[in-house]
Amino acid sequence: MEQVGERESEEFTLIARKPYFDLPTACPVCLPLFIYLKLAHFPFRLSFNSIFPDSDQIPYVESGTYVAYNNENGGVIERLKQDGIVDLDSEFHSVPDWVAMKAMISSWLADAMMYELWVGSDGKSACKIYYSDISWPIGKVLFLKQVYSVKQRLGITKDNAEQREHEIYKRAKIAYGALSTRLGDQNFLFDDRPSSLDATFLGHVLVTLHALPETSVLRSKLLEHNNIVRYADKLKMELIESSSSSSGPQIHSVPSSSTPKRGPSNWSSKPKSKPKREKTEEEKKFKRRAKYFLAAQLLAVLLFLSVMGGSDADDMELDDEDEGIVYG
Amino acid sequence: MSNPDSVPDLTPPDSERQKPFDTNEIDEEEDNGGDENDVEDDDEDEDGNDGVFRGPNRPKPQSREARFRSEKLKMESLLQRMKTGPVSVRVHDVIIKGNTKTKDHIIEAETEVLNNVGSMQELLKASQIVNLRLQALEIFDSVKITLDSGPPELPGTANVIIEVVETANPLSGQIGAFTKAEAGSSIVEGSLKYKNLFGYGDLWDGSLAYGFDHSTELSAGLYLPRFKGLVTPVTARAYLLSQDWLKFSSYKERTMGLSLGLFSSEHHDVAYNIAWRTLTDPSQVASRFVRRQLGHNLLSSLKYTFKVDRRNSTMRPTRGYAFVSTTQLGGLVPNNRSLRFLRQEFDIRYVVPLGFYRAALNFGVSGGVVFPWGNGFSSKPSSLPERFFLGGNISPVCALGGPTALWGFKTRGLGPTEPRRQVNDGTADPSGVDYLGGDLAFTALADLSFDLPFRWFREKGIHAHVFACAGNVAKLTENEYRNFSVQKFVESLRSSVGVGLVVPTSFFRMELNYCYIMKKFDHDRAKTGVRLTFSAA
Repeated sequence: MEQVGERESEEFTLIARKPYFDLPTACPVCLPLFIYLKLAHFPFRLSFNSIFPDSDQIPYVESGTYVAYNNENGGVIERLKQDGIVDLDSEFHSVPDWVAMKAMISSWLADAMMYELWVGSDGKSACKIYYSDISWPIGKVLFLKQVYSVKQRLGITKDNAEQREHEIYKRAKIAYGALSTRLGDQNFLFDDRPSSLDATFLGHVLVTLHALPETSVLRSKLLEHNNIVRYADKLKMELIESSSSSSGPQIHSVPSSSTPKRGPSNWSSKPKSKPKREKTEEEKKFKRRAKYFLAAQLLAVLLFLSVMGGSDADDMELDDEDEGIVYG
Repeated sequence: MSNPDSVPDLTPPDSERQKPFDTNEIDEEEDNGGDENDVEDDDEDEDGNDGVFRGPNRPKPQSREARFRSEKLKMESLLQRMKTGPVSVRVHDVIIKGNTKTKDHIIEAETEVLNNVGSMQELLKASQIVNLRLQALEIFDSVKITLDSGPPELPGTANVIIEVVETANPLSGQIGAFTKAEAGSSIVEGSLKYKNLFGYGDLWDGSLAYGFDHSTELSAGLYLPRFKGLVTPVTARAYLLSQDWLKFSSYKERTMGLSLGLFSSEHHDVAYNIAWRTLTDPSQVASRFVRRQLGHNLLSSLKYTFKVDRRNSTMRPTRGYAFVSTTQLGGLVPNNRSLRFLRQEFDIRYVVPLGFYRAALNFGVSGGVVFPWGNGFSSKPSSLPERFFLGGNISPVCALGGPTALWGFKTRGLGPTEPRRQVNDGTADPSGVDYLGGDLAFTALADLSFDLPFRWFREKGIHAHVFACAGNVAKLTENEYRNFSVQKFVESLRSSVGVGLVVPTSFFRMELNYCYIMKKFDHDRAKTGVRLTFSAA
């Protein structure tokens, strides 16, 4: 019978997780690949799978019967390099600094992102990115499974939770510092030319800035480096916002809910400690007011009871008098 | 008996009427203790039966033999009276004995038919029905119904005494084989049953089933004959099902769900199913269409089955007809985050007996369609496990339910395909395809079965058959319905003919067939040759 699938075999399609938070794909594993293809000016269509949040095959790139999965050959970017389809790193492999930074981003920053999304913050961002198109009971079970799995992978137990958290944030801070120094005022991290390092780092930065909540420690640490924030904003405008007007129609496999836009991009660079202090002052005021209100309520109730109690006594006396008259 | 079902006379009793006797003496029912009956008879006699109508004068029982003779005379006279016309009687009270664990209302619910009896004949029939119903609950080792005279002050009444013996051993196990028409294969199932745990006639069972299409199912179920006044029994089943379709369609299916039987009668069945289904591809060679389907889905569906099966046998039908229609509506949740589909399938069978050599012509036509619903439904794909797949190792004669099997075609062996992922490791098999099934399916079969002229074969039930079948599946979703035409569908019908030997055993029906594939397409998995099929009842 008819062979399905012999159409558009030359066109490449990237299958990623759904867009959210004003990002073309809000998943921190999928966004670097998207940026990499954009940096290489590689034409591709974007398609979404929002029913398989726990798959390690996503993101993947396909064209006809060719597929490059995320869980093979070191990732999609590596596979595309090996197959000679897209390669931005041809001159950087032998540069030790480049390799070291790549390793740092893939380990320290990736761990920090994983921790912050699933454990550090309240998990709302992760739920929106991964489970917004899945039925609630299934989404809830998958979320709990994922939190458990992340804790296993990062070696977090009840005893060492605080210590591990401190360690993860410390490493992230060191990494941000090193990358900020490396970046300086340039457009890209190395030789003013884009590479997969930029794609990976930019993906991490954009998710941190846009998807994580404002109370996120990781986010506040990143905001301390203005040059990184500028670098991210600039590239986002160039690669994502300008191309979204010219890109072709996007195919998606599952109906997705509307993606709400985040607020205007004036970042609050206050670290976490400041918002905390303000909150406690507000909380104190609120508590005082609440106490006054409760006291007033109590007083009103007491007054009411005493007045009513007095009038009851009067009524009773009257009755007695009446009775007195009747019997008298 | 003449006029056993006529309206009972309202004439007052004018002769010896009330006679206690056991239904067991008239009908052969399963019962322990024939001796007890006689003893009971004597007791009831002493309690005064004749005295009901004739006054307090009781004939003094003399010797045992004399009593026996008088009993016999009374019985004969009653039978005589029952032969001539209805003997008017109504039930006064139903007494239940012997149930220590089982709640009274469970047993009483099965005895409602006794309230409407008007004559002795009806009472006998009703007692038999009650006996069968109580035994069908499967929680009693024996059920004995005794009819006794009512209180002396109320003439024309009877008391019904129901004595039950609850199962001594509530735990039982069994192993069986079934044919699952939807999967196109047979399954072997082992189950453990625990009866009457809480005294509500509840039957609990746990089972493990293995299907020959690489499927495993672990399930636990509950059967409640009476749940808060509902007319039909309620069944609930929690299951964990795992199916491996990697070889045919590059995906594995794991489903965890709960199904509730809401209404069940002889012809109608309504069930609700809620399940969490996950499709994965550990082999990582799935085709594009299958890749898009991988993931988690919530199934919330209502299924209605209408079935009429008037064939004289399911293993070797030689007479009768059958009709099955199944409608399934999925997506019954308030939001759009579950699988929304409408699936309809039907199966019609007609068997014409030919008179010689126990020959019979079996005709069958079946079809099915599945479609998603909701916004933009015409461009959405249908869910892969809900589609129709033709082919399998079962005999189409036995698989009643929908379009499933065709002689000669292997499991999921025909229909739309899509090339699998190309893996460039030198040993790649370039012809790998995934069988995607179809949204529309149709099969037709004709089978002539007849006895062989050898007595040995006839005694064993082994017979021969000549058959022909045709079938096809087509895709309609994702806007393919625009390219669909009935002519093209008919032109691409696959077909096969053949001849074979049928060996029916007590567990399954085995067929050894030689199939000749008359029409098939490039990727169809079908071969001319000898094939063996197994179908369980």
